[in-house]
Amino acid sequence: MDRRTALQHITILMGGTLSASTVAGVLGGCSAHQGETAFKPRKLSRGRDELVATLSELIIPETDTPGARVAKVHEFVDYMLADWYDKSEVEQFLSGLEDVEKRAKEYGVKSFTDLDMDVQVKILTQMENEAELWHASGEEGIVPFFQTIKSLTLLGYYTSEVGATQELRVNPMGEYKSDIPFSEVGRAWA
Amino acid sequence: MRTEPAHVSRSPEEVDVIVVGSGISGGFAAKELTEAGLNVLLLERGFNLQHGAGYITEHLENWEFPARNSSGSRLHKEQYAIQSRTYAFAEHTEHFFINDKQSPYIEGDPFTWIRADIVGGRSLLWARQCYRWGPLDFEANARDGIGVDWPIRYPEIAPWYDHVESFAGITGQAEGLKQCPDGVFLPPMSMNWGEQRVREAIDAHFDDRLLTIGRAAILTQPHNGRAACHYCGPCYRGCSAGAYFSSLSATLPAAFATGRLTLMPECIVHSVIYDENKGRATGVRYIERQTGNMREVYARIIFLCASALGTTQIMLNSTSSRFPNGLANDSGALGHYLMDHHFQIGATGEIPGGEDRYFQGNRPNGIYIPRFRNISPQTRRGDYLRGFGYQGEATRPSWSRPVNGFGAEMKKVLRNPGKWEMFLEAFGEAMPRFDNYVTLDNSVTDAWGIPVLRIHCKWGENEFAMRKDMKQSAAEMLDAAGAKNIQMFDHYTEGGLGAEPGLGIHEMGTARMGRNPKTSVLNAHNQCHAVPNVFVTDGACMTSSACQNPSITYMALTARAAHYAASELKRLNL
Repeated sequence: MDRRTALQHITILMGGTLSASTVAGVLGGCSAHQGETAFKPRKLSRGRDELVATLSELIIPETDTPGARVAKVHEFVDYMLADWYDKSEVEQFLSGLEDVEKRAKEYGVKSFTDLDMDVQVKILTQMENEAELWHASGEEGIVPFFQTIKSLTLLGYYTSEVGATQELRVNPMGEYKSDIPFSEVGRAWA
Repeated sequence: MRTEPAHVSRSPEEVDVIVVGSGISGGFAAKELTEAGLNVLLLERGFNLQHGAGYITEHLENWEFPARNSSGSRLHKEQYAIQSRTYAFAEHTEHFFINDKQSPYIEGDPFTWIRADIVGGRSLLWARQCYRWGPLDFEANARDGIGVDWPIRYPEIAPWYDHVESFAGITGQAEGLKQCPDGVFLPPMSMNWGEQRVREAIDAHFDDRLLTIGRAAILTQPHNGRAACHYCGPCYRGCSAGAYFSSLSATLPAAFATGRLTLMPECIVHSVIYDENKGRATGVRYIERQTGNMREVYARIIFLCASALGTTQIMLNSTSSRFPNGLANDSGALGHYLMDHHFQIGATGEIPGGEDRYFQGNRPNGIYIPRFRNISPQTRRGDYLRGFGYQGEATRPSWSRPVNGFGAEMKKVLRNPGKWEMFLEAFGEAMPRFDNYVTLDNSVTDAWGIPVLRIHCKWGENEFAMRKDMKQSAAEMLDAAGAKNIQMFDHYTEGGLGAEPGLGIHEMGTARMGRNPKTSVLNAHNQCHAVPNVFVTDGACMTSSACQNPSITYMALTARAAHYAASELKRLNL
């Protein structure tokens, strides 16, 4: 959202009046937001960060609510890689990304992110099928990368403020109602 | 939040009673003893924690935790390798748990020892379920010829259950069952659509069973100056409203109100000082956590409430020429007969229908199916002794349920909750066996130089025979409820983790009560047979394990012992 649009939205919301302090707040908020979009990954390269963002958006795309990219799932993934996972987990994840790039190169592009979305979906579907075969085989060993990226995307998205409040609903505190019509909520509790 | 509290005294005068440990038992001991007019010094190994201000993660949203409230980080693996095995451990509670690297123990067998390291101990972190033991439980050992007989019977503890329940505030539904007696209850919480369906099916198909709402130390209405539950969900982050019972919300404020309590956090008790000439304990040695200096404090009576294994570690480390094998250990029972509840077994199933039903709010309580095996001649089993109860809940799983695929279709599916799913998990009684035991290993010490425990504990034949029934009976009840896709589960692995002893966090025994000083450590008043001014009222005192969650029984035994100790002191018998 650029400053002009933000100001217009706020103006409409507030019935046309806009105080100087609100303007300052909106401007501050927008510049902070732009700072955040200039996110600098710590563990991922620029290219790999874009790859994670692309994969996560394929898994949870924007529909009538924002998708994984807006929910900053890729930033969450970078945090997990930098501060949470141990060395072998990080290596497994990075080699999973390498494998995705290798699959993309067979289509004559430099990166998965250069492919048309239908080809991207085709590759991801192939990876899912392989993961299912692996599970059915009962083999031990490293969990397929598809499962890792899907799980991380679901966790990162549905526990984000965007995923929990816009796509789903936060189960509120206050009282416990044990049996209500689903239509009163209309969405799953995050 | 770990600040120096104003009420800490660094040079306490000689006091009437030293209480070691500020968890559920120690907090109750401090309350009862100070209210009886005694000056109490409460020593706690953990950091100080202020009720309210210390609950630094209370009401945070998932997105306010960097890893979205996960566990299993590099730090967790390195410093909290044991603690991170429990469900309660994650980003939101990690600051309450003990650092396994500083305070190790040795797993002679796989054994998970979950410990808090804060004032209030595990009373901050417990699951709050409260079920009275029944007459059957106190008679069990004598009837079966197993272990030693309990030196008390239900009528002797019943008024003390009344006493502690009235103070703590227990929500529950009276059901009139002998094997799981009703208590003093606040209004029950209600069941959701799925739970109501399963309850009806059990009523219709099983004469010997019922499904009731969980009985829990959570307030459903204001009680003794504490507020009612606001259903935020994760109690173990701490509740500044005081809606669940903990030492911080309930017993310690009551004890402080008498003006007779001195609390000293960060004092790690090393051993009890025994005076051979007097034939009594005179005080305890403790190590100042920050300086490592050893100090001594003295009192007329000592209450050990450091948790079952914590207390036993202190007693084993308290040697003298009179007691070369640990304080009050004439019987050789000290350290032995370790028990826990065996669980991580049961079944799940989908309850058809109810797509238009949902719930709102985070109920911090589930359902309970009280024990129905071996409670009468009609319910006697040929394949095992004792019994088990079920805990569980029905819910509609959200985004974390397995859904194939990805993309807009998957997102659309996950926008709605899944089908109603019922989860039943059994908690079974474990037998007291001599070869489940702990010893001190003098070759390994903790960060303060105290020898650590080596723990040997395995489930036995009776537990394994019971587990078959625990799994099958769960599936049977779900089947009667018309459930689909019934999945039995058993997380036990031979020699591994999943359902290992200790994981139930109901570890008990190791300084058991009994009638005979030759076979037990404590008498009917939780008083050491051989050292009359030392009392043990935490889980160490337990003679058998029953299958009910034990904390309310620790509270009742503690209150009973505290009143006995106070009256004996006044009569100059101590």
